[in-house]
Amino acid sequence: MDLGLKGKVALVTGAGSQIGFGKETALLLAKEGCDAVAVTDVNLEDAEKTAKAVKQLGCKSIAVKADITNHAEVDAMVKKVIDEYGKIDILCNVAGGIIHKDNVPIDQQDPAVWEKQLKLNLIGTMNVSKAVVPAMRAQKYGVIVNIGSGSTHQYQMGVGTYAMSKYAIDLFTKQLAFVEGKAGIRVNCVAPGPAPTNFGAILREDMPKLPPDEMEKMRAAMLGTFPLGRMGTAADIANATVILASDVTSYVTGQVFHVSGGSVI
Amino acid sequence: MDLGFKGKVALVTGAGSQIGFGKEISLLLAKEGCDAVAVSDINLDDAKLTTEAVKALGCKSIAVKADVTNKAEVQAMVEKVIAEYGKIDILLNVAGGVLGGGPFEEQNEEIWDQNIALNLKGTMFVSQAVIPHMKKQNYGVIVNISSGSTHQYGPPHGVGMYAISKAGVDTFTKQLATVEAGSGIRVNCVAPGPSPTNFIKAPDKQAVVDMLAKKEIPMGRGATQADIANAAVFFASDISGYITGQVLHVSGGSVM
Repeated sequence: MDLGLKGKVALVTGAGSQIGFGKETALLLAKEGCDAVAVTDVNLEDAEKTAKAVKQLGCKSIAVKADITNHAEVDAMVKKVIDEYGKIDILCNVAGGIIHKDNVPIDQQDPAVWEKQLKLNLIGTMNVSKAVVPAMRAQKYGVIVNIGSGSTHQYQMGVGTYAMSKYAIDLFTKQLAFVEGKAGIRVNCVAPGPAPTNFGAILREDMPKLPPDEMEKMRAAMLGTFPLGRMGTAADIANATVILASDVTSYVTGQVFHVSGGSVI
Repeated sequence: MDLGFKGKVALVTGAGSQIGFGKEISLLLAKEGCDAVAVSDINLDDAKLTTEAVKALGCKSIAVKADVTNKAEVQAMVEKVIAEYGKIDILLNVAGGVLGGGPFEEQNEEIWDQNIALNLKGTMFVSQAVIPHMKKQNYGVIVNISSGSTHQYGPPHGVGMYAISKAGVDTFTKQLATVEAGSGIRVNCVAPGPSPTNFIKAPDKQAVVDMLAKKEIPMGRGATQADIANAAVFFASDISGYITGQVLHVSGGSVM
């Protein structure tokens, strides 16, 4: 299926991790014919690795450093991409992270962590969208894909601002889709289930050190809770993200799309 | 993007209308490389027209008559497709229709029953007949068609058994997805917004869609048959291999 990405310029945030959704999405956008895929990350060296991999696919790319929680850095990053390629057609807001540990009673939580968590995921996504939307409006075309999370519909991890920040991204997706629909801008959200990325390293710190057979039992028990019986892959998420970024879904907007093997339905 | 349809056999119900989602989906499945696309409709002559169009794309096809509200006919239709192609990998439950309407207190039970029979039970009958064959091969994809009307309550929508029957299809999608996930079967649902198909009774269908679009659709336009076929075919392909139990509204932002 031709996804109609020829001539399109994409910007993918959080594309530094070499095992993350951002890189996989950037590569798939390149493979499927984008003219240029700009990649950004808080870590420039990592972003440069991804830009190199994109270029190897015959697609233009630049790596730009940006901390998405810093709106001045974000504005400068977006300006740099537009200076380079003249436009941004597609924005994939992948940058984010888990700062907040699971299953900590609310009275033992640190409000400074709440603020950091909300700033990274929610304000960060809003900062980049805010910087990109005017250019999309001007050309009456734009597609934004945000990354939500299956954790917005799972409560066994206790009170956590990570899931809250992602649920707020769901709502931001819908609000922005509603108000910018007639400006030719679509906004959707992919909500992944657990996948073997660098995400949640902080959660693994607390895991008991178990012998390998015990770990395997735990893993099998966890996978058993997924209706499709497996974890997601970066490719699963990139597929959904790129389909939503393409005109194949030109009548889909304001949707949160759970790619979680049936763990959220 | 290669959707991985090589060697796949699909069955599309409600594929007779020449301006409907079923035909558009059948053609797209064929274009994207399915080995065979069987099409079914209550009107065999219409189904044959779609079959001819599928074959013209170089894809195998047969037309089979079936009233989806008739369990025995559905069973026979599925057996015929299996006899012809040996398997069904992909089922698109497109057959359905809007019956009745009007003020709630004037609605009659017969129309309610007909809506439920056509939209909900019809989808369940076909799925019930196909699932044993999918289970046997530990692979199957089912895509149901729901409706944006499941989330619209104001005028001119009001109380309507059509929307209620489609809400039933949403729940059926999630239930079936959960219980059959272990059998390698994915079940998802596409919920279209207004589109100029035979679902709109007025002669100038596009004018009705445009009027609705101006009033209640953030993107300012109605759905095209291609919009819906794209989403349905995405769900039908292994590109969405980790997606199950989802209802995707393809409605220009009118439902979110």
